[in-house]
Amino acid sequence: MMTGNKSLRGTVQSHTIIRVPGKSHAADAPFVLLLVELDDGERLLGHFRGSTPPAIGARVAGGGADNETPTFSIAGEKS
Amino acid sequence: MSVSVHVAGVGSTSFGSHPNRTLQSLAVEAARAALADSNIPMDRIGCVFVGNFVGGIMTGQELLGPIVAADLGLANVAAVKVEAACASSSAAVRIGHDLVRADAEEAVLVVGVERLTGAPREALTTAMTAAIDLGSEGHAGLTFPGFWGLVMARHMHLYGTTREQVAAVAVKNRRFGANNPLAQFQKPISLEEVIASPPVADPIRRFDCCPATDGAAAVVLTSEALARRFVSPSVRVAASVLVNGPVRVTDYREITSHDGTVNAARRAYQAAGVGPQDIDVAELHDCFSIAEIVDSEDLGFFAAGEGGPNILREATKRNSKVVINPSGGLLSKGHPTGATGCGQIYEVVMQLRGQHPNQVPQARWGLTHNGGGTAAAVTVHILQSP
Repeated sequence: MMTGNKSLRGTVQSHTIIRVPGKSHAADAPFVLLLVELDDGERLLGHFRGSTPPAIGARVAGGGADNETPTFSIAGEKS
Repeated sequence: MSVSVHVAGVGSTSFGSHPNRTLQSLAVEAARAALADSNIPMDRIGCVFVGNFVGGIMTGQELLGPIVAADLGLANVAAVKVEAACASSSAAVRIGHDLVRADAEEAVLVVGVERLTGAPREALTTAMTAAIDLGSEGHAGLTFPGFWGLVMARHMHLYGTTREQVAAVAVKNRRFGANNPLAQFQKPISLEEVIASPPVADPIRRFDCCPATDGAAAVVLTSEALARRFVSPSVRVAASVLVNGPVRVTDYREITSHDGTVNAARRAYQAAGVGPQDIDVAELHDCFSIAEIVDSEDLGFFAAGEGGPNILREATKRNSKVVINPSGGLLSKGHPTGATGCGQIYEVVMQLRGQHPNQVPQARWGLTHNGGGTAAAVTVHILQSP
């Protein structure tokens, strides 16, 4: 899944907080994981800048380097 | 001309903690019990399939097919391991079923086995995550509780499913398990205890999760002709279906309904000539308490969104007569991943013979549903009483 460095905008489909991670993410837990539907219809998993997940249906914006899991924040008013 | 396939015998170890047992010793115990139960002579067995998920990762032992066959004293047979994550042994049943049905074999032994207890939690999580696409979702840190946490949050959002309804699944299955001598958990649990247990992958809490389990279960499949000659009474396999589903959470159009289960159920009902309203007893894949709600909807027992309220409704006031997971399910009987599929068939066969500790009265049609990965490999079996 290529996300590039472009900015991503979408809607939160669902969320969880991973508190029991596998080895590869042991140092990160607990962390919020979001299922986001981007405005172009693509769906992806992303991390969230914050410890409390946004509501389902909330607008989020984020980005990240190629081949990295994107990180999202609550989108600004004008989204 | 296809052959009618029967379950001639079933066997099982207890599910729970077997710290001093090897995979092969558990598998052999269950297999011997199934062979004895079947009354089929050993020299009729042409194939041995061993369903196992993470034996290599957790114990270092592979090549379970030939090892188990040899330990059983079976020589000159086809013996191989089958892997479909948590659906490994029910996938093996489907393969064995097809061989008997095609008249290529007259008797097949399927054994499921797993050893999971005693490992550090992080090692267990990492092993289970082998059934997640590591390149995409694994990279994001998704785990199995995480997948079902996403499903549960969205099911609650879409349908108003409540925390209490989801917890009620665990309470029900612990109550059933307390009366099943094979079950890992032998004590009931309260709604309050489930809701107060520590979070694992919000909104999923510890008592919403199935335990790590050791155990084995086995099934002997035969042609109707062989069953008639040696077995009385035998349960008929009315449908044996294995299908794939989306392998990534991002591949789902809607994560609260799982295509693998929907498609497997549709094909199984069609093959058996029955519908969800005809099923008396079902053992379905409640790896997490929310999974029982989602699966019961996808199997057609309840309409979408109706699984939650129906958990708390009396059986007589529901739109389905089915009794779900009277074994205690994965949540209470336990989930020795590779053994679970054969374990479910063991439970339903006992129901259809009228020999189950939590007997469903006059059970005629039974269904098993077993999912591997995030519902990426799904089996549905429909069994008919003798």
